[in-house]
Amino acid sequence: MKTWHWIILAVITIASIVLQLWGPQSAHPHAWDRIPGFYALFGFGACVVIIFVSKTLGKVWLEKREDYYDE
Amino acid sequence: MTSETLPPAFILLLGAFVLLGVPARVRSAVFVLFAALGFGHVMRLPLGTTAVGNFAEFQLILLSVDSVNRVFGMIFSLIVLIGGIYAWHVKNRGEPVAAMLYAAGALGVTFAGDFITLLIWWEVMAIASTALIYARGTAESRGAAMRYLLVHLLGGSVLLGGVAWHYAAYGHMLIGALDPSFGGAWLILFGVALNAAIPPLHPWLPDAYPSATVTGTIFMGALTTKSAVYVLMRLFPGWEVLVWAGVIMAIYGLIYAVLANDIRRILAYSIISQVGYMVTGIGLGTALSLNGTAAHAYSHILYKALLLMGAGVVLHTTGKSKLSELGGLGKYLPLTLWLFMIGALSISGVPLFNGFISKSMIVSSAGEAHREGMMLVLFVASVGSFLHTGLRIPVFTFWGPDVGLRPSKPPVNMIIAMVVAAALCVFYGCYPSALYRFLPFEAEYHPYTIPHLVESVQLLTFTFIGFWVFRRKLQGEPLIVLETDWIYRRGLHRPAKLLLNVVNGTFGAAARGRDHVIARLVDMAQHPLRPFRPADAPRYDENEDRLPLGTGLAITVLFLVLLAVWAAQ
Repeated sequence: MKTWHWIILAVITIASIVLQLWGPQSAHPHAWDRIPGFYALFGFGACVVIIFVSKTLGKVWLEKREDYYDE
Repeated sequence: MTSETLPPAFILLLGAFVLLGVPARVRSAVFVLFAALGFGHVMRLPLGTTAVGNFAEFQLILLSVDSVNRVFGMIFSLIVLIGGIYAWHVKNRGEPVAAMLYAAGALGVTFAGDFITLLIWWEVMAIASTALIYARGTAESRGAAMRYLLVHLLGGSVLLGGVAWHYAAYGHMLIGALDPSFGGAWLILFGVALNAAIPPLHPWLPDAYPSATVTGTIFMGALTTKSAVYVLMRLFPGWEVLVWAGVIMAIYGLIYAVLANDIRRILAYSIISQVGYMVTGIGLGTALSLNGTAAHAYSHILYKALLLMGAGVVLHTTGKSKLSELGGLGKYLPLTLWLFMIGALSISGVPLFNGFISKSMIVSSAGEAHREGMMLVLFVASVGSFLHTGLRIPVFTFWGPDVGLRPSKPPVNMIIAMVVAAALCVFYGCYPSALYRFLPFEAEYHPYTIPHLVESVQLLTFTFIGFWVFRRKLQGEPLIVLETDWIYRRGLHRPAKLLLNVVNGTFGAAARGRDHVIARLVDMAQHPLRPFRPADAPRYDENEDRLPLGTGLAITVLFLVLLAVWAAQ
């Protein structure tokens, strides 16, 4: 990831928050729609939770050696 | 039955028989020809067409076309055509015959108007698809094929039980929405849910799909689960249990897709996650959610075929499919990489690709039904799709350090098939009305609204950032991940052994006792004096057991003397 990649992501995020707050609203609004950057926070949070929950489940319980069923 | 009312499944069935007989050099062309005939026929079947036949005392409805099954029939027959192009280089006879028969089964199920027709095609699908796993020819695939077949035969039998109950209760075999208060419906649900890979009935899918042949997986990824989704939609619309089953599926598949190592297994789990959306849509049972299910099945089949074809190219050209053994392939397979990325962006719901226009229908319908909790869970599943399929697979396969693999040149037909699928993913993403006009119910939906774009862009951008920060955690590891099939692959071994030991032990003891008694009886018959001898006496003693010659002579002389005395009187 080069610096300009991050700049593009930042521009996209700012534009989306501007549109979220001052653009047209959904015909079926939800309680969270007005929180600035809600979906950005949700996306990042969900991503982190998925990675850590899955990996923890794998480590403590689900992951086994590849020859597990051959014994 | 005229050509107007010919069930499309019969065209493909004929194709399978023709494929058995034609020489190898024209086989691929014949496959594509029959697939194209099937697709063309489905496209021109008017709504409301029916065809009937008789079986024993039942009237079978072999063909019943309406707006619900037409859209499924369209995508099934289209993907068989694309799969045929992808498999053009395959030289053996078994695979194309099995694939054609399998496709016939899927179209037969889709257009069946009664349960008997459905059941027959259902079993055809199970057996033909087993052959596609078995054809890989490895010990692993033979094991997976056998487990797959047994599980599907069980599902088919339970389904048959439910259908018989249905006939007993209602006196007819017509396919229509079922009521939860009817007990047989739950048996039917078990059978169909098994094919739809609803946990805990799903482990056959991630077991079998990565074990099947490179080309066979394309058909499997499209047909079995989505034909089951169609049947669920027919029989169980609005069943609350399916809303829950669907969101559990969406999350379940995503957790395993994050852990799995084989790229085709990651894609298999991502099927489970995506089918979860469709099952939720069926459970919600509104016009919009059911349209969403049909639309998402259509989109999903296209982009998932594209992704599986990309993974297939990697496997075909390198012989490897585990993330832990892959890396840096992008510069050797540039076209495959970009075509795969189109599939990856589609499944992730990026605007202008076809996942965006269909997945969002189901999510929105959950919102409109005021199921906000469900909606948020589906957002998590969306994040997951981008994470495991959109980022994890391509980053660790095509980018990353070069692990020294030098792939061969992929067959051109594989690339052509991928180009067709990728073009359709973009086409439907840009022109959603081309798909929406075939959807079964009246429900207005516009995917390209500002709030919807804001939502997608924010979710995707920050999923990417989360991935980038923690990407090292997502590298493939050479491990397997336990599944619910642990129960029959390992968990039952000990109880089974215990049971077998009791049964074998009892029979063994009885047999030994019987042998002992018989041996004693034989011994006594041969040797009446033996019980009266010491236990350590030899079995045969010449001096004791052989009567002396004189004894016989003495008895004879005695007898003659007695005779003479008697005669003299």
